[in-house]
Amino acid sequence: MKRILALALALVMLCSIGIVAHAADELVDGKFAETRHITVRLFQRGDNIPEESPWADYIRKGMLEKYNVEVEFTVGGRWDDEKDLAAWLSSEQAPDVCYTYSYSTILNYADMGGMIDLAPYIDQYKDLLPNLFNLLGEDNVYWDKDPEKGTLWALETRLVNNARINTFIRKDWLDKLNLTMPTNKAEFEERLIAFRDNAELLLGEDAAKMVPYSTSYDIGWRNNNLTVSFVPDDITDEELYIRGYDDRQQFLPGAKEAMRLLNKWYNEKLVWQDFALYGSGDTTEDDNLKAGFVGSFQHNYDYPFRNGEDSIDQNLKRNVGPEAEFVAVDCFENDAGLHRKYLGSTVDRKVCFPATNDEVLASLLYLDFISDPETIKFLQVGPEGITHDRDENGAYVKKTLDSADPYYQASLNNIDFTMTCNGLYLGEYTDASFGYSLAPVDPALVADAYAIAMNDGRVPAHYIMPAIEAEVGIGTTLNDERNSFLGRAVTASVEDFDRIYDEGVANYMSIGGQAIMEERAEKIEAETGYKFAE
Amino acid sequence: MGFSWKTYLKRYWTLYLLLLLPIVFFIVFRYVPMAYILMAFKKNNIIKPPWLVDWAKNNGFEWFIKAFKDQLFIRALGNTVKLNLLDLVCGFPAPILMALVLNELAFKRFKKFTQTVLYLPHFLSWIIISSLALRLFADNDGLINILYKQMSGNKDAVLPFLSQPSWWVGTYIGLGIWKEAGWGTIIYLAALTGISPELYEAAAVDGAGRLRRIWHVTLPGLRPTIITLLIMRLGYILGSEFDRPLAMSNTLVTNVSTVLSVYVYQKGINGGGQFSLTTAVGLFQSVVGVLFLFGANFLAKRFGERGIM
Repeated sequence: MKRILALALALVMLCSIGIVAHAADELVDGKFAETRHITVRLFQRGDNIPEESPWADYIRKGMLEKYNVEVEFTVGGRWDDEKDLAAWLSSEQAPDVCYTYSYSTILNYADMGGMIDLAPYIDQYKDLLPNLFNLLGEDNVYWDKDPEKGTLWALETRLVNNARINTFIRKDWLDKLNLTMPTNKAEFEERLIAFRDNAELLLGEDAAKMVPYSTSYDIGWRNNNLTVSFVPDDITDEELYIRGYDDRQQFLPGAKEAMRLLNKWYNEKLVWQDFALYGSGDTTEDDNLKAGFVGSFQHNYDYPFRNGEDSIDQNLKRNVGPEAEFVAVDCFENDAGLHRKYLGSTVDRKVCFPATNDEVLASLLYLDFISDPETIKFLQVGPEGITHDRDENGAYVKKTLDSADPYYQASLNNIDFTMTCNGLYLGEYTDASFGYSLAPVDPALVADAYAIAMNDGRVPAHYIMPAIEAEVGIGTTLNDERNSFLGRAVTASVEDFDRIYDEGVANYMSIGGQAIMEERAEKIEAETGYKFAE
Repeated sequence: MGFSWKTYLKRYWTLYLLLLLPIVFFIVFRYVPMAYILMAFKKNNIIKPPWLVDWAKNNGFEWFIKAFKDQLFIRALGNTVKLNLLDLVCGFPAPILMALVLNELAFKRFKKFTQTVLYLPHFLSWIIISSLALRLFADNDGLINILYKQMSGNKDAVLPFLSQPSWWVGTYIGLGIWKEAGWGTIIYLAALTGISPELYEAAAVDGAGRLRRIWHVTLPGLRPTIITLLIMRLGYILGSEFDRPLAMSNTLVTNVSTVLSVYVYQKGINGGGQFSLTTAVGLFQSVVGVLFLFGANFLAKRFGERGIM
């Protein structure tokens, strides 16, 4: 017996020496002695081939030179991240470095044993990852660390620009009707009515296509300025957290009144009557915007300026005339008279390593490499003279590239490649370059839109807490139900609004919304002592 | 006296050889994957093979219990049965009627032409049909509603084909018939060619008119085909198409349009991540389907038909 024990102990010792020796051996002068190979997830949009772009080449070359690591990209559709992850994990073919926008999805697979706990590796290799820590900061790195178990299943990448949603209005229509920019909700409504009543003047023979205010099936996002303006300004951080699982803010106090106003507008034919029939990815609404049939809408703070020559802004100018333009407007005041917006926090995509990853260090070094400011700069603005020029202030002035150009960026600021960074990140030149980042759109329009989107912004507080189990696996279902009942309520007659809306909320709560709220309230009370009264 | 299987094998070995490939196909792609049905009784895990995963709670029936407590599952179940029954009641007789009419057409060329035109929609995917439906039936921008508004002279008049749940069901069923009825006639027309012309002549001699001949000769001739297809349809009563409800649905009608396949998609791969639950739902669908199949087969035999088993 003793002999066996001694033998076993000796074996364990030998093994551990082997492991330690191996770890120390891994890097020679900061480089792997033997070439390592890792696979990395990469989003694809439209019909471009991202893995064959000069951006991908830059990363591959850089990683090989700097760390002797071969990088292979595994491409999947932008909107398929969760489906891809499920398929890859179940077939043990997941890329070594994965990311998705849903932390609860990662948690679900972590529970199955499909993810690597990054906590020990981050502690062990912290010194080798200066760029990653600089960019993400300790806050983002440890954002998802479970305070009880100490596990860390994902790294939260950095959202540099946390502006979210703006209201846009057709400035040329206001001018044509001799109207000023609206400064409050009442004036905004008056402008919509003016658009509706002057359809013939504004659109001529296309008058029947007039849409004073456009929205989509994603009502919460697409009416967020409106929604937030009805939320009491003194709502506490804790309540915002407890009721704030829905990132469209549709279950905060006041949200119902916002929807009531939208319902009124809908019934007065101020809102696009067919908005609810078109689903995600449909281009009908964008086509309306580009054709010049739409007076106003709320969307991502830079939405009409995205996509270069194919942006709404540029199409509108081609289709209607050089004077036609959507400008951002700040006219949704709350009870404190502020134009409140809830901004994004500092986190964006969540990076995770599936359990099949046997190159954790090489994968972490990949994250460090793409977090290097030099790498980010190249990926965002490209080589000088080809994709950008510098102006007299040093700002990076982006050129407009054709979508067939190899340097064409299919995503804004190339975020598909800058995995750890969402938002322009050019150090001291960021602000000066910002307006040019959406070339060929007028930089002043972009700068104004950004300033408005940030005006009176509030970043909801983040609490480090154990994972909320009620949130696992329910997100998509809850979002679909939310969109569905909001759609039915907004398109209902004014008399039916209350009934349909209340039924919808009750149903949403009963299929999981309530459980999430209760668990959040419970855990925040344990953490901060805050008592939540519904 | 019968022959032993060896004799058969010796004599017809080429035929058995031909059978080998399909049998291997079924074993590899249909039966081996069935081992994964185990997931329905195990803890939710797609990382490990199901036989290595612990059993789920309640003696493995955790997910079935959970499904039946989930109001969204109950709703999807109800929608599936409702839409399938409507499809059966409205959609099943359509190709029969169409085949009868086609069969009565005297001009061969016109008949061929009509047949081809009727088949064509079958080859369109539901994705294409759903976008056609939007262009035609949308409340405001749809062609039919634009015409309707002009004809009625009322700018606010709307036929809510896609936006009101009850109307949507009608549109859904109607488009299903439009797409598949023509294709469905093929099998009936084939069966019609098997009816002896002498029967028609005899009926005509006895003074039977056209309708009488249809009633007494054509329909009885089609009966075995109708019964066989009906049995197969009933086996599908809890089954659900996926692309059709998914493509045709919109956010206003998910209450009536979310069927089990869509529920499984949402709860499973589309972000839900609840693979054991959705496997359980799939298994439940299959078991009920098989029960219906046997039931219908049994009834068919009771009524003197051959059945399919």
